Amino acid sequence: MTVTDPGTLPALFPATPPLLTLGEPRLLAAAPPAVPSRDRAWLVHAATDVRLLGRGGAAFPVARKLASVPLGARVLVNASEGEPASFKDRALMRHSPDLVVAGIRLVAAALGSGRPAVVAVEDEPSAQALAQAAGRAGAELDVRLTRHGFVGGEIGALVNGMEGRAPRPDGRRVLPTERGLAGRPTFASNVETFAQLALLSALGPAGYAAVGPAHEPGTSLTTVLGATPVNGVVEVPHGTALRDLVGHDDGPVLVGGYHGTWAVPTGARVSRVELRERAIGWGAGVLAVLPADTCPVAEVARVTDWLAEASARQCGPCVFGLRAVADDVQALAQARPVDLERLQARVGMVRGRGACHHPTGATGFVASALTVFAEDVARHRAGHHCGRADLGVLPTTHTTGGVR
Amino acid sequence: MTRLAVDWTRCDGHGLCARLLSESITLDEWGFPILTDAPVDEDAARTAVSVCPALALRIEHPARTA
Repeated sequence: MTVTDPGTLPALFPATPPLLTLGEPRLLAAAPPAVPSRDRAWLVHAATDVRLLGRGGAAFPVARKLASVPLGARVLVNASEGEPASFKDRALMRHSPDLVVAGIRLVAAALGSGRPAVVAVEDEPSAQALAQAAGRAGAELDVRLTRHGFVGGEIGALVNGMEGRAPRPDGRRVLPTERGLAGRPTFASNVETFAQLALLSALGPAGYAAVGPAHEPGTSLTTVLGATPVNGVVEVPHGTALRDLVGHDDGPVLVGGYHGTWAVPTGARVSRVELRERAIGWGAGVLAVLPADTCPVAEVARVTDWLAEASARQCGPCVFGLRAVADDVQALAQARPVDLERLQARVGMVRGRGACHHPTGATGFVASALTVFAEDVARHRAGHHCGRADLGVLPTTHTTGGVR
Repeated sequence: MTRLAVDWTRCDGHGLCARLLSESITLDEWGFPILTDAPVDEDAARTAVSVCPALALRIEHPARTA
């Protein structure tokens, strides 16, 4: 494993965690490769060949999204990274801004996008790094600092925020590929997707596919935290055993982040497709393991409270249901009496009932935690607090934007 | 078959839909509708849509195939 010096930053902003790579660094290489221009047809074919999936939470096939927008479409880069447990997008922008800018230019040119691409980013050092990289490349880039929070990074909410509207999801889902920036069709994706497209253009499909399994070649950035052999942002080849990253696969691992899944991922590997077959979403690429000396119920309760607070406060089941779920989990954490059946019913009731993925993602986190930590939950429910404190291993403070 | 959908950003939990379509809509403990898969009579569905005070209920037409 190679450790890259993340460099120093002004103290107001969180320092970049250690950057690590398994195998040869690509996204985190010291110098970016030359990225040839490609037309849209080339990109669609190449992204199809390597089965490139979007690097936001939804893992949508990139080729299909590229093919679905008309030429002249706008480009929107989602670099908001509102997930408190994730640092991979900021690490990428701070460390490899030239690769990111090359990828954005590649896509904007391939789509014949008449206007500069818009980058929505909460982290000021990342914004500065991108602006400087754009300057070096002589590229026009519209970098916008946002403060939209977790749900504000949902793509519909992000488009609304960029258009001067409230940064909240629409009641009826509007795809950016149909109506995005300035009401025009927009190719919108997570910032890492653009860096992956830059690598694809530089390496060609065969070179790109030299790493990882044939069904899902390449590498991904992941944020690894908690009681793991290494902590930090890791560039990892697909197909790597999860236990090689987090130290075990026979105990609870949080996969994906706070819209993700607690699982005992025996034998699992880094692969969005393979994990999905186990009903585990790779999500924002977070992998976390709790140490034995923190109370898992209290950690989960604190995150659930954070998720309830993160609601855009538009949809009843999210406003009331997710709050009720969070209060129940908090009571469990404090070993107060809780009707566990009612909690389970509430979790099931909130799922899928909202304008965005937030209630579903949040209740998926809770439901899987109740299953994986069933023994701890049962003990707490019986009024026997485990005696361990909440050590705050799962971060719930905003780690962007400096002092607030 | 007629399918109903709720715009959750509009719904305020008035509950009229569940009164009119009691076989296919129930309410959760906070008063917000739970849509079941039971078939909905089209006329009754239209009535429910038209009386929703928040204009949150709609009839969902199957997505056109590309």
